[in-house]
Amino acid sequence: MSRSTDRATGDVVREFLSVADLLEEPRLAQLYAYLIRDGEATVQELMDTLDLPQGTAYTYVNRLSDAGVIADQSETQPISYMANEIDLTVTASDGTREYRITPVLIDAVGRRATDEDIDTYIDRHGIAGLATAINYAVDRERGSVTHRVMARDIDISPLAAEIILQALRPIVHEHYDIEPAGASLDDVVAAEDLAVDDETVNE
Amino acid sequence: MSATHIADTGFFVALGQPTNHRYRRVRTFAERNEIVFLIPERVYEELTEPASETATIDIAIEEGWVIVSESLDYTVPLVSKTMDGVQRYIANADERPEDEIERADAALGGLAAKVLAEESASSVYIYTPDIAAGEGVETVLGSQGYKDSITFVNAFQFIDELMD
Repeated sequence: MSRSTDRATGDVVREFLSVADLLEEPRLAQLYAYLIRDGEATVQELMDTLDLPQGTAYTYVNRLSDAGVIADQSETQPISYMANEIDLTVTASDGTREYRITPVLIDAVGRRATDEDIDTYIDRHGIAGLATAINYAVDRERGSVTHRVMARDIDISPLAAEIILQALRPIVHEHYDIEPAGASLDDVVAAEDLAVDDETVNE
Repeated sequence: MSATHIADTGFFVALGQPTNHRYRRVRTFAERNEIVFLIPERVYEELTEPASETATIDIAIEEGWVIVSESLDYTVPLVSKTMDGVQRYIANADERPEDEIERADAALGGLAAKVLAEESASSVYIYTPDIAAGEGVETVLGSQGYKDSITFVNAFQFIDELMD
């Protein structure tokens, strides 16, 4: 049984609303994603790493903490915070479509502030569209789909599919175990006796 | 006989603009080793579709380290057999019907088959971030007796290693 089903309805609604906030605010999503990736951090560490002003950092931490998506770890000062795992399944009202809100999705949303390709994709296809793209990105890295399969399925151009798959690739590799595949530079260089010069290319 | 290097759409997307370090590093590597990357027509079309801001690929072609292949001749048995095989391989990888797989995905394999059938190169390298496509070409041409001649190169890994 999933975490969300064995809790009181009020808690689920509260969590959903706070998660909806996370998806609306890339900076908030970024903070949550940082805690999911790096374990725990103090407000000072969050300020330094995410380049947040002190007031904003405290506001964010308090909001996420009140909502129950992060929790403080120690009674001692300074308090460090840790993220609670989020896994919500959202079903469209017609019941035909559903997507999952996971830490990976929140991480991807958090990067729209710094990644133009992710930002553009969300503008065009929404958060639900991004959730779908993440599924394709995981499957692509695992070798079960190609960018053209994705393009055909969701009716976008192969180039647009390739661009979002590449933007999501680092996130997929951070959250999932992906087996390496294919030959490397060394394999090609050794087999063909090629030169790899280390000279810096002139501007 | 020399080697032929066939690259997919994702390889060039990963390089970015000509001002990008990755682009320049790969170009230097190609020029230094007299490598000219060959791309299927379909890849060229994907990279120059109207929605794209700038056709970086045209710059690379002009610089002389990328060339677009001629149309594939489907009457060459190895070409058609390889394309069918790759299409089937990708369909199986995601348990979906073959008709849901774009022929463009098989075009990399078709081009590799063309090169091998013409005996214009003794080894062929496929550079793509689409593992399903790369492994598909390797598997299908491997089963046609070209196991030692065909290599799928992970495009991201290749570029990252070149940047180190």
